[in-house]
Amino acid sequence: MSLEQELRRALARKDPPRGFDDRVLSKIAAGGTVRVPASVPRWRRASLPIAASLLLAMGTTYYVHQQQRAAEAHVRAEQAAHDVVLALQITSETISAAQAKVQEMTRYEPKNDY
Amino acid sequence: MQMAAALPHAPALSGDELLAQARAGSESAFAALVREHQAMVYGVAYHFLQSWAQAEELAQDVFLALHLNLSRVESARHMVFWLRRVTSNRCIDAVRSAQRRRELPMDEIPEPSVTPRVNDPLMGELLRALVAELAPDARIVVTLRFQEDLDMAEIAAITDMPVNTVKSHLRRSMDALRRRLKDKGHVYES
Repeated sequence: MSLEQELRRALARKDPPRGFDDRVLSKIAAGGTVRVPASVPRWRRASLPIAASLLLAMGTTYYVHQQQRAAEAHVRAEQAAHDVVLALQITSETISAAQAKVQEMTRYEPKNDY
Repeated sequence: MQMAAALPHAPALSGDELLAQARAGSESAFAALVREHQAMVYGVAYHFLQSWAQAEELAQDVFLALHLNLSRVESARHMVFWLRRVTSNRCIDAVRSAQRRRELPMDEIPEPSVTPRVNDPLMGELLRALVAELAPDARIVVTLRFQEDLDMAEIAAITDMPVNTVKSHLRRSMDALRRRLKDKGHVYES
Protein backbone atom coordinates (compact mmCIF):
# COMPACT_ATOMS: atom_id res chain seq x y z
CA MET A 1 0.00 0.00 0.00
CA SER A 2 1.37 3.44 -0.92
CA LEU A 3 1.82 6.24 1.59
CA GLU A 4 -0.99 8.17 -0.13
CA GLN A 5 -3.36 5.23 0.38
CA GLU A 6 -2.26 4.88 4.01
CA LEU A 7 -2.93 8.58 4.56
CA ARG A 8 -6.38 8.36 2.92
CA ARG A 9 -7.23 5.55 5.30
CA ALA A 10 -5.75 7.23 8.37
CA LEU A 11 -7.42 10.57 7.60
CA ALA A 12 -10.82 9.27 6.53
CA ARG A 13 -13.89 11.30 7.45
CA LYS A 14 -14.91 10.75 11.04
CA ASP A 15 -18.33 10.85 12.61
CA PRO A 16 -18.62 12.87 15.81
CA PRO A 17 -19.90 11.26 19.00
CA ARG A 18 -23.56 10.26 18.91
CA GLY A 19 -26.07 13.07 19.32
CA PHE A 20 -23.90 15.73 17.70
CA ASP A 21 -26.78 17.09 15.58
CA ASP A 22 -29.01 17.34 18.66
CA ARG A 23 -26.32 19.24 20.54
CA VAL A 24 -25.96 21.68 17.64
CA LEU A 25 -29.74 22.20 17.48
CA SER A 26 -29.90 22.66 21.26
CA LYS A 27 -27.28 25.37 21.03
CA ILE A 28 -29.21 27.08 18.25
CA ALA A 29 -32.45 26.83 20.23
CA ALA A 30 -30.68 28.32 23.25
CA GLY A 31 -29.64 31.25 21.11
CA GLY A 32 -26.08 30.07 20.96
CA THR A 33 -23.59 32.54 19.67
CA VAL A 34 -20.62 31.64 17.60
CA ARG A 35 -17.34 31.85 19.41
CA VAL A 36 -15.00 33.77 17.24
CA PRO A 37 -11.50 32.49 17.76
CA ALA A 38 -9.13 35.05 19.13
CA SER A 39 -7.20 35.19 15.95
CA VAL A 40 -5.19 38.18 14.88
CA PRO A 41 -7.44 40.20 12.55
CA ARG A 42 -6.19 40.88 9.06
CA TRP A 43 -5.88 44.62 9.73
CA ARG A 44 -3.66 43.89 12.74
CA ARG A 45 -1.59 41.43 10.77
CA ALA A 46 -1.07 44.17 8.20
CA SER A 47 -0.37 46.86 10.79
CA LEU A 48 3.26 45.89 11.40
CA PRO A 49 4.37 46.19 7.77
CA ILE A 50 2.34 49.40 7.43
CA ALA A 51 3.94 50.86 10.57
CA ALA A 52 7.38 49.81 9.33
CA SER A 53 6.69 51.44 5.95
CA LEU A 54 5.51 54.63 7.66
CA LEU A 55 8.59 54.73 9.87
CA LEU A 56 10.81 54.16 6.87
CA ALA A 57 9.04 56.93 4.93
CA MET A 58 9.29 59.31 7.91
CA GLY A 59 12.94 58.42 8.42
CA THR A 60 13.71 58.98 4.74
CA THR A 61 11.88 62.32 4.73
CA TYR A 62 13.73 63.43 7.86
CA TYR A 63 17.08 62.35 6.38
CA VAL A 64 16.42 64.17 3.11
CA HIS A 65 15.29 67.28 5.02
CA GLN A 66 18.44 67.17 7.16
CA GLN A 67 20.60 66.76 4.07
CA GLN A 68 18.92 69.77 2.48
CA ARG A 69 19.43 71.84 5.62
CA ALA A 70 23.07 70.78 5.77
CA ALA A 71 23.55 71.68 2.11
CA GLU A 72 21.91 75.08 2.66
CA ALA A 73 24.10 75.70 5.73
CA HIS A 74 27.14 74.74 3.68
CA VAL A 75 26.18 77.20 0.95
CA ARG A 76 25.59 79.92 3.54
CA ALA A 77 28.96 79.20 5.16
CA GLU A 78 30.70 79.35 1.80
CA GLN A 79 28.97 82.64 1.04
CA ALA A 80 29.99 84.03 4.44
CA ALA A 81 33.59 82.94 3.89
CA HIS A 82 33.54 84.52 0.47
CA ASP A 83 32.16 87.74 1.98
CA VAL A 84 34.89 87.78 4.61
CA VAL A 85 37.59 87.27 1.98
CA LEU A 86 36.05 90.05 -0.11
CA ALA A 87 35.90 92.34 2.91
CA LEU A 88 39.55 91.58 3.70
CA GLN A 89 40.51 92.22 0.11
CA ILE A 90 38.69 95.57 0.16
CA THR A 91 40.29 96.46 3.47
CA SER A 92 43.68 95.42 2.21
CA GLU A 93 43.27 97.45 -0.96
CA THR A 94 42.09 100.46 1.03
CA ILE A 95 45.04 100.20 3.34
CA SER A 96 47.42 99.82 0.40
CA ALA A 97 45.91 102.90 -1.26
CA ALA A 98 46.22 104.89 1.94
CA GLN A 99 49.75 103.70 2.42
CA ALA A 100 50.64 104.71 -1.14
CA LYS A 101 49.09 108.10 -0.57
CA VAL A 102 51.03 108.59 2.63
CA GLN A 103 54.26 107.59 0.92
CA GLU A 104 53.57 109.98 -1.92
CA MET A 105 52.90 112.86 0.47
CA THR A 106 55.98 112.16 2.53
CA ARG A 107 58.18 112.08 -0.58
CA TYR A 108 57.71 115.80 -1.25
CA GLU A 109 57.95 116.99 2.33
CA PRO A 110 61.26 118.80 3.19
CA LYS A 111 63.48 116.70 5.30
CA ASN A 112 64.51 118.15 8.57
CA ASP A 113 68.20 117.72 8.12
CA TYR A 114 69.55 119.56 10.97
CA MET B 1 -40.57 24.47 13.37
CA GLN B 2 -40.42 20.77 12.65
CA MET B 3 -38.43 18.54 14.94
CA ALA B 4 -35.28 16.83 13.74
CA ALA B 5 -36.83 13.43 14.43
CA ALA B 6 -39.58 14.10 11.92
CA LEU B 7 -37.31 13.53 8.92
CA PRO B 8 -36.42 9.81 8.91
CA HIS B 9 -39.65 8.84 7.13
CA ALA B 10 -39.61 11.81 4.78
CA PRO B 11 -38.55 11.21 1.18
CA ALA B 12 -34.88 11.92 0.54
CA LEU B 13 -34.37 15.52 -0.46
CA SER B 14 -31.49 16.90 -2.46
CA GLY B 15 -28.95 19.15 -0.82
CA ASP B 16 -30.37 22.20 -2.55
CA GLU B 17 -33.92 21.34 -1.40
CA LEU B 18 -32.74 20.82 2.18
CA LEU B 19 -30.89 24.11 2.03
CA ALA B 20 -33.98 25.92 0.75
CA GLN B 21 -36.10 24.43 3.54
CA ALA B 22 -33.45 25.25 6.17
CA ARG B 23 -33.33 28.81 4.91
CA ALA B 24 -37.11 28.95 5.22
CA GLY B 25 -36.73 28.05 8.92
CA SER B 26 -37.08 24.27 8.94
CA GLU B 27 -35.16 22.91 11.90
CA SER B 28 -35.43 19.35 10.63
CA ALA B 29 -33.95 20.32 7.27
CA PHE B 30 -31.05 22.02 9.04
CA ALA B 31 -30.57 18.93 11.22
CA ALA B 32 -30.42 16.83 8.06
CA LEU B 33 -27.76 19.15 6.66
CA VAL B 34 -25.78 18.80 9.88
CA ARG B 35 -26.00 15.00 9.72
CA GLU B 36 -24.97 15.03 6.06
CA HIS B 37 -21.84 17.09 6.62
CA GLN B 38 -20.86 16.43 10.22
CA ALA B 39 -18.33 13.71 9.33
CA MET B 40 -16.57 16.11 6.97
CA VAL B 41 -16.45 19.04 9.40
CA TYR B 42 -15.73 16.97 12.49
CA GLY B 43 -13.18 14.84 10.61
CA VAL B 44 -11.12 17.84 9.47
CA ALA B 45 -11.27 19.34 12.97
CA TYR B 46 -10.33 16.05 14.64
CA HIS B 47 -7.46 15.23 12.31
CA PHE B 48 -6.17 18.78 12.66
CA LEU B 49 -6.55 19.23 16.43
CA GLN B 50 -6.18 15.58 17.54
CA SER B 51 -8.66 16.16 20.34
CA TRP B 52 -12.22 14.85 20.51
CA ALA B 53 -13.40 17.65 22.76
CA GLN B 54 -11.82 20.48 20.78
CA ALA B 55 -13.02 18.98 17.50
CA GLU B 56 -16.60 18.72 18.82
CA GLU B 57 -16.54 22.32 20.06
CA LEU B 58 -15.10 23.63 16.81
CA ALA B 59 -17.52 21.60 14.66
CA GLN B 60 -20.49 22.84 16.70
CA ASP B 61 -19.31 26.42 16.20
CA VAL B 62 -18.97 25.86 12.46
CA PHE B 63 -22.58 24.64 12.19
CA LEU B 64 -23.80 27.49 14.38
CA ALA B 65 -22.04 29.89 12.03
CA LEU B 66 -23.67 28.10 9.09
CA HIS B 67 -27.08 28.55 10.69
CA LEU B 68 -26.42 32.26 11.10
CA ASN B 69 -25.20 32.59 7.52
CA LEU B 70 -27.73 30.41 5.70
CA SER B 71 -29.01 33.38 3.73
CA ARG B 72 -25.57 33.91 2.23
CA VAL B 73 -25.14 30.30 1.10
CA GLU B 74 -26.15 30.07 -2.56
CA SER B 75 -26.31 26.31 -3.16
CA ALA B 76 -25.53 22.93 -1.65
CA ARG B 77 -22.21 22.94 -3.49
CA HIS B 78 -21.40 26.40 -2.16
CA MET B 79 -22.31 25.17 1.33
CA VAL B 80 -19.72 22.36 1.13
CA PHE B 81 -17.08 24.87 0.03
CA TRP B 82 -18.20 27.27 2.80
CA LEU B 83 -18.04 24.54 5.48
CA ARG B 84 -14.57 23.39 4.39
CA ARG B 85 -13.30 26.96 4.31
CA VAL B 86 -14.71 27.99 7.69
CA THR B 87 -13.56 24.74 9.30
CA SER B 88 -10.04 25.12 7.89
CA ASN B 89 -9.75 28.75 8.97
CA ARG B 90 -11.00 27.99 12.46
CA CYS B 91 -8.64 25.06 12.85
CA ILE B 92 -5.65 27.22 11.95
CA ASP B 93 -6.89 30.09 14.15
CA ALA B 94 -7.45 27.71 17.06
CA VAL B 95 -3.89 26.46 16.93
CA ARG B 96 -2.31 29.84 16.31
CA SER B 97 -4.26 31.81 18.88
CA ALA B 98 -4.10 29.35 21.73
CA GLN B 99 -0.67 28.02 20.87
CA ARG B 100 -1.82 24.82 22.46
CA ARG B 101 1.07 22.83 21.28
CA ARG B 102 4.64 23.58 20.55
CA GLU B 103 5.40 22.77 16.95
CA LEU B 104 8.19 20.25 16.86
CA PRO B 105 10.44 19.63 13.92
CA MET B 106 9.66 16.18 12.52
CA ASP B 107 12.89 14.77 13.97
CA GLU B 108 11.84 15.71 17.51
CA ILE B 109 8.51 13.93 17.52
CA PRO B 110 8.53 11.49 20.43
CA GLU B 111 8.71 7.82 19.54
CA PRO B 112 5.39 6.01 19.84
CA SER B 113 5.41 3.30 22.47
CA VAL B 114 4.79 0.58 19.88
CA THR B 115 6.32 0.65 16.42
CA PRO B 116 3.51 -0.32 14.06
CA ARG B 117 3.86 -2.47 10.96
CA VAL B 118 2.40 -1.67 7.56
CA ASN B 119 -1.35 -2.45 7.53
CA ASP B 120 -1.25 -2.46 11.30
CA PRO B 121 -4.15 -0.46 12.79
CA LEU B 122 -1.51 1.43 14.75
CA MET B 123 -0.06 2.70 11.47
CA GLY B 124 -3.09 4.98 11.21
CA GLU B 125 -2.38 6.31 14.67
CA LEU B 126 1.26 6.91 13.82
CA LEU B 127 0.36 8.74 10.61
CA ARG B 128 -2.23 10.90 12.37
CA ALA B 129 0.33 11.74 15.06
CA LEU B 130 2.93 12.70 12.44
CA VAL B 131 0.42 14.80 10.49
CA ALA B 132 -0.70 16.52 13.69
CA GLU B 133 2.83 17.72 14.27
CA LEU B 134 3.09 19.49 10.93
CA ALA B 135 2.90 23.29 10.89
CA PRO B 136 -0.74 24.53 10.69
CA ASP B 137 -0.71 25.52 7.00
CA ALA B 138 0.91 22.25 5.92
CA ARG B 139 -1.38 20.26 8.20
CA ILE B 140 -4.58 21.68 6.74
CA VAL B 141 -3.28 21.06 3.21
CA VAL B 142 -2.52 17.41 3.99
CA THR B 143 -5.86 16.95 5.80
CA LEU B 144 -7.90 18.41 2.94
CA ARG B 145 -5.90 16.47 0.36
CA PHE B 146 -6.31 13.05 1.96
CA GLN B 147 -9.55 13.34 3.91
CA GLU B 148 -11.51 15.26 1.28
CA ASP B 149 -9.53 14.08 -1.75
CA LEU B 150 -9.30 17.62 -3.08
CA ASP B 151 -6.94 18.76 -5.81
CA MET B 152 -4.44 21.59 -5.42
CA ALA B 153 -6.67 24.28 -6.94
CA GLU B 154 -9.57 23.39 -4.65
CA ILE B 155 -7.31 23.45 -1.57
CA ALA B 156 -5.87 26.78 -2.70
CA ALA B 157 -9.38 28.26 -3.03
CA ILE B 158 -10.42 27.01 0.41
CA THR B 159 -7.28 28.12 2.23
CA ASP B 160 -6.60 31.34 0.28
CA MET B 161 -3.09 30.13 -0.54
CA PRO B 162 -1.46 30.31 -3.97
CA VAL B 163 -1.57 26.95 -5.78
CA ASN B 164 2.24 26.75 -5.78
CA THR B 165 2.30 27.22 -2.01
CA VAL B 166 -0.18 24.37 -1.61
CA LYS B 167 1.98 22.16 -3.86
CA SER B 168 5.07 23.10 -1.88
CA HIS B 169 3.40 22.34 1.47
CA LEU B 170 2.23 18.97 0.20
CA ARG B 171 5.56 17.97 -1.34
CA ARG B 172 7.56 18.96 1.73
CA SER B 173 5.08 17.29 4.09
CA MET B 174 5.17 14.05 2.13
CA ASP B 175 8.99 14.10 2.06
CA ALA B 176 9.08 14.69 5.81
CA LEU B 177 6.57 11.90 6.45
CA ARG B 178 8.53 9.48 4.24
CA ARG B 179 11.77 10.34 6.01
CA ARG B 180 10.22 9.87 9.41
CA LEU B 181 8.61 6.59 8.46
CA LYS B 182 11.84 5.33 6.90
CA ASP B 183 13.59 5.91 10.21
CA LYS B 184 11.10 3.44 11.65
CA GLY B 185 11.67 0.87 8.97
CA HIS B 186 8.67 1.73 6.77
CA VAL B 187 9.85 2.53 3.29
CA TYR B 188 7.44 4.18 0.86
CA GLU B 189 8.37 5.04 -2.69
CA SER B 190 7.94 8.65 -3.86
